[in-house]
Amino acid sequence: MIAPTSGLAARTVTANGVAPSDDVVRRAQQGDVGAFESLYRTYAPTIHALARRMVGDEREAREVVQDIFVRAWERLASFRGESTLGTWLHRLAVNVVLETLRSARRDANRFTDDDVAAEPISGPTSDARLDARMDIDAALARLPAGARTVFVLHDIEGYSHEEIATITGLAPGTARAQLWRARRRLMRLLDA
Amino acid sequence: MTDRLVPPTSHLSEAERQCAADGTLGDDDRAAVTRHLAECDECAADVARLRAFIVRAQERTAAPGDLDDLWPAIRARIEEGKVIALEARGAAAASTTRRAPRVRGQWWLLAGAVAAAAILAITLHRPPRQTAASAGQPPAPAGTVQRGGRAIVQVSDSARAYQQQISALLEELELRRSMLQPQTAATVDHDLRLIDSAIVELQEALKHDPDNAALRQLLAASYRQKRDLLRSLDNAS
Repeated sequence: MIAPTSGLAARTVTANGVAPSDDVVRRAQQGDVGAFESLYRTYAPTIHALARRMVGDEREAREVVQDIFVRAWERLASFRGESTLGTWLHRLAVNVVLETLRSARRDANRFTDDDVAAEPISGPTSDARLDARMDIDAALARLPAGARTVFVLHDIEGYSHEEIATITGLAPGTARAQLWRARRRLMRLLDA
Repeated sequence: MTDRLVPPTSHLSEAERQCAADGTLGDDDRAAVTRHLAECDECAADVARLRAFIVRAQERTAAPGDLDDLWPAIRARIEEGKVIALEARGAAAASTTRRAPRVRGQWWLLAGAVAAAAILAITLHRPPRQTAASAGQPPAPAGTVQRGGRAIVQVSDSARAYQQQISALLEELELRRSMLQPQTAATVDHDLRLIDSAIVELQEALKHDPDNAALRQLLAASYRQKRDLLRSLDNAS
């Protein structure tokens, strides 16, 4: 059974599995750029992976990663330790990515029923054909931003439908429908 | 899932298959869906495929690209927007006592600039006049606190705010240049060059020692000197 909101660990785990010390975090909060660089090196891979999946483009993802860490620097003083820094940073990253997607209007049908929704939900696909798969990132990049966002947040990052609804402004039911269609679309893309 | 959607002669709905695959079936539906999956190979196979796909998506890890090359740009943006703290605080304050600023030997530039600004302000003394450029103040000191018997300015000065003001004042200076006496214009240009040299040198030093609070204070002071020099000229003209 797959845990419905199993992403908490994924959201808090660093690339090397080692969280930064409180002292490093505190020094970064006090304006120590060297300490902040240490935080960057700890969390950048995870944040980059999130941005890469949500944005669907490597070049743009790298720009978004910069935005995320600049924003983190600006707001780090507001981090109170009520969650782990990884969780705080992850949520901030999601918000920055969504702002980017919204402002850029990269897809005409962002968080609405889009061309994914327009397709009939397919039935079962073949196991054998599923084995001939392309990289998930490449397939993700071919999804509309709205469906991609919901899929990444739910299936990869472990957010619940309710959390996704709060973050994206979608109704939970709409988020579910987008997720299901995104899964089917991805399975077909990987099947091709 | 709260609706009962499993008629015995039909397949599971898409919602039931998806929820069965990702484990979000409601308690009310779980038993019936499980029973159906035990009896229907087609639905069971589809749920298994969905589940395998979800697991694959969760387990995959992105190739760790080289992200080191992003840091310089992030660092530059941080420095660009960095608040120049007039207060040496915390660890930065402690480090200041250990580290000598890396500005090499031209402190007379600052001293000269200060003296020049003071002389010019006296020479050109007239009642101050509020202008559009001078109206925009950088964050003004909100107050002071006593710490260790020493008054410490609590708020910070923004380099960017100073640069914006300076830019506006320089534009104003160019507009008024033809009205200046040649000797005054030459003096102003000379003093501006001195201050600019100090700023460039301090910026260079900060690249090597960005956490040096003393350097940041000096840079802020240099910006202030330049702004005040231009402002005094603007007021006098």
